[in-house]
Amino acid sequence: MIITVVDHYPKIPNPPREPKLRKAIHAYDQGKITKEELEKIFDEVTQEVIEEQISAGVELITDGQIRWEDGQSYIARKLEGTQIGGLIRYFDNNTYYRQPVIVGEIKWKEPIIVEDWKKAQKWAGSIPVKAVLTGPYTLGRLSRDEYYKNLEKLVKAYTNALIEETKLLEENKVKYLQFNEPSIQYYPEDIDLLIEVYKEIRKYFSGNLAIYTYFHTVIPIKNRLKDLPVDTFGIDFVSRKENFEIIQEFPKNLALGYGIVDARNTKLETPEQIASLIKKALECIPEDKLFVNPSCGLEYLPRERAYDKLVNLVKGVNLVRGERK
Amino acid sequence: MKEIKLPILPTTSVGSFPKPDYLVKARNQYARGLIPYSTLHELELKATEEVIRLQEEIGIDILVHGEMERGDMATYFAENLEGFTISGLVRSYGNRYYKKPIVIGKIRRTKPITVDMFKYAQSLTKKPVKGMLTGPYTIADWSFNEYYDNKRDLVLDLAEVINQEALDLEKAGALFVQIDEPAVPTHPEEIEIAKEAFKITTRGLRSFLITHICYGDFRPIWKEVVNFPVHQFDLEFTNNADKLYPLIENEGFPREKYIAVGVIDVHSHRIESVDEIKARIKEALKHFNPEQVFIDPDCGLKTRTWEEAKAKLENMVKAVMEVREELVKQGYPSEITIKLDL
Repeated sequence: MIITVVDHYPKIPNPPREPKLRKAIHAYDQGKITKEELEKIFDEVTQEVIEEQISAGVELITDGQIRWEDGQSYIARKLEGTQIGGLIRYFDNNTYYRQPVIVGEIKWKEPIIVEDWKKAQKWAGSIPVKAVLTGPYTLGRLSRDEYYKNLEKLVKAYTNALIEETKLLEENKVKYLQFNEPSIQYYPEDIDLLIEVYKEIRKYFSGNLAIYTYFHTVIPIKNRLKDLPVDTFGIDFVSRKENFEIIQEFPKNLALGYGIVDARNTKLETPEQIASLIKKALECIPEDKLFVNPSCGLEYLPRERAYDKLVNLVKGVNLVRGERK
Repeated sequence: MKEIKLPILPTTSVGSFPKPDYLVKARNQYARGLIPYSTLHELELKATEEVIRLQEEIGIDILVHGEMERGDMATYFAENLEGFTISGLVRSYGNRYYKKPIVIGKIRRTKPITVDMFKYAQSLTKKPVKGMLTGPYTIADWSFNEYYDNKRDLVLDLAEVINQEALDLEKAGALFVQIDEPAVPTHPEEIEIAKEAFKITTRGLRSFLITHICYGDFRPIWKEVVNFPVHQFDLEFTNNADKLYPLIENEGFPREKYIAVGVIDVHSHRIESVDEIKARIKEALKHFNPEQVFIDPDCGLKTRTWEEAKAKLENMVKAVMEVREELVKQGYPSEITIKLDL
C-alpha cells in the first residue's frame, strides 16, 4: 500500500499565511517583478507544498503543479502548433481552463515538466515524486482542433509529442509517471484508441506507468482495463459510488489508484471511515497493488482543508497497517 | 392580466456588469475591515445607478441591475441564508480565487435577499428591470456540502428558499424574474433532481420567467430542459452555436417559448462589429420565429472592462435596430406583446 495524491495541490494558503504566489503573478502581470523573481516564488511555493505533503505523511508526492495555470495550457503552450484560447469549464467543476487551439502540426519543442520534476525530487529528498502529465487523449478531447479536424490524428500527434517528454523522464530515472485521462470516461467508445496510445507510450517508459481518471463512471470501460499496458489505473470512488462495483473484478495485472477521499468537498472523512474503505479494497486487491489517494487533485479545496484531508487519509491507512502487523 | 409591449427583438443583458474601480477598491477595503458596510453599500447604489443609466443611454429594452452587491452568483446567496458558511480561498482559474459556500446546517431564509436592490434599481427607470436569482441546483452544485446526507435534499430545500425570494420579487413589482441554472447541464445524471427543484422554485409565480443556462452540453438533457416551466431560455449562441443550432434542428424548440439569443462573446476583449452581430442575429432567425427572439450577450459581462461592456452592448443595439427595420419591411410587426396573469 502506498499513500499518494492525484496531481495538483492548492497554490495559495489562507490568512494569516500570505498569498505570495497570487501576489507575485499579479505583480509580474503588471510588469513590477521580473520573470526570474516570479520563478523564485514558484520554486519557494513548490518547496512549501512538497513539505506539506511530506509532513502529512504522503509517501508518493507530486510537485503540486504550482506552475500550471491548468492541466491543458501548461502543456500546450510548450508545444508547436498550438495557441491558447478562451476559458472553458473544466468538466462539472466551477473551475475553468484555457482551451488549447490546434493551428498547425503538433510537435514537441522544449522540455515540459522534466525540469520541474528534477527540482521537486531534489527538494523531496528520499520521498519519491511522481511525474504527472495530462494524457494525450484528454488533451485531444479538451482542445479545439482547427488543423487535424480528426480526433484520432490529433490524439496521436499529442502522443508523439508527449513521448518525447517521456523519453526525457526515462533518461532522468523517473520511477513513477502518471497520465491523467478523465475524458475517456465520457467517451467509452474510444477505449481502443486509448489502448493503442498507451501501447506506444509504454515502449518508452520502464518505471511505474499510471493512468488516472476522475469525476465520472468507469463502469462502461471496466472490461477493457486489463488491456491497458500500464501498471496502475486510478479511479474516483467519491464522485460515482457505482465505481465500487469494479473492486471485485479489478484486473489482476493492474494496481488500483483508490480515490476515496473527497477532493471536491470540505467535509472531512474520519480515519475510521478511510480505514473501513481500505479494508474493503484489501478483500479483493493485494496490498502491493493498492495506491490510496484523494478522488482527484486537491485544488478544489481551500489549502488548509486539503492538508487536513491528507492527514486523515494517512491516519486511516495507519489504522489498517497497525491491525495487519 | 398584464400586457407588456416590447419592440420586436427586445434587447437585454444576462445579469452582471463590470464593477467600477471605486467599487472594487471599496469591496477590498470592506473585506479588510477598513470601511463600514454603509460606505460600501452607498457605492453599490451609486454603481447600480450607473449601470441603469448606461443601459438607458444605449437603448436596452429590459434592464438588469448589474449585481454590484454580488461577488459570486452562488456565494452571494449563501452569505444571506441560514445554514451556510463561507470557505477559504479556492481557485477558479489562473490567478483568480473565490470563497465558496459551505453548507453546515439546514438551509433557511430569514429575510428577503434581493428585493431591496431590485426596488432601488426599478425606481431609477421606467423600463422593466429583471429580478435576478441563482437557481437551487446551481447553488447546491457550487457549494461544499457538510450537512445534508444527499444532494437532492439540499437542492430541494434551496428550491423552497429561492421560491420565497422569487415570490417576494414579484410582490415588489418584478415583471421579469430570471433564475440562472448554469450547473444543470454539467450533471446530466441528476436532471431529475434539477427538474423537481425547478418546479418548486417557480411554484405560484406569474411573472415572465427566464432561465439562463451556459457552458454545457445539452444533448443528453435537451428534451427535459425545454420542458422546464419558464417563458424563456437564455442561451449562449456565440460560444456554443456549433452545438446549439444542430441540437435545435434535430430536437426542436417549443414554438410557444421565447429564446434569448447570446450574440456577444463575453470572454473576449474584442468588440464585435455591428455587421458581425447582425450575422449572428440572422443566423438565429433561421431557427426561430422573430417574435420568439430576444437578443443579449452570451453571459454576464462582469469579466469585461466597463468600456468593453459598453462598446459591446452599443454595437449589439445598433445591430438589432438594423435587423428590426428589415423585419418590419418584410411585414413583421414592430412590437411584440407579452401577456401575464398578474
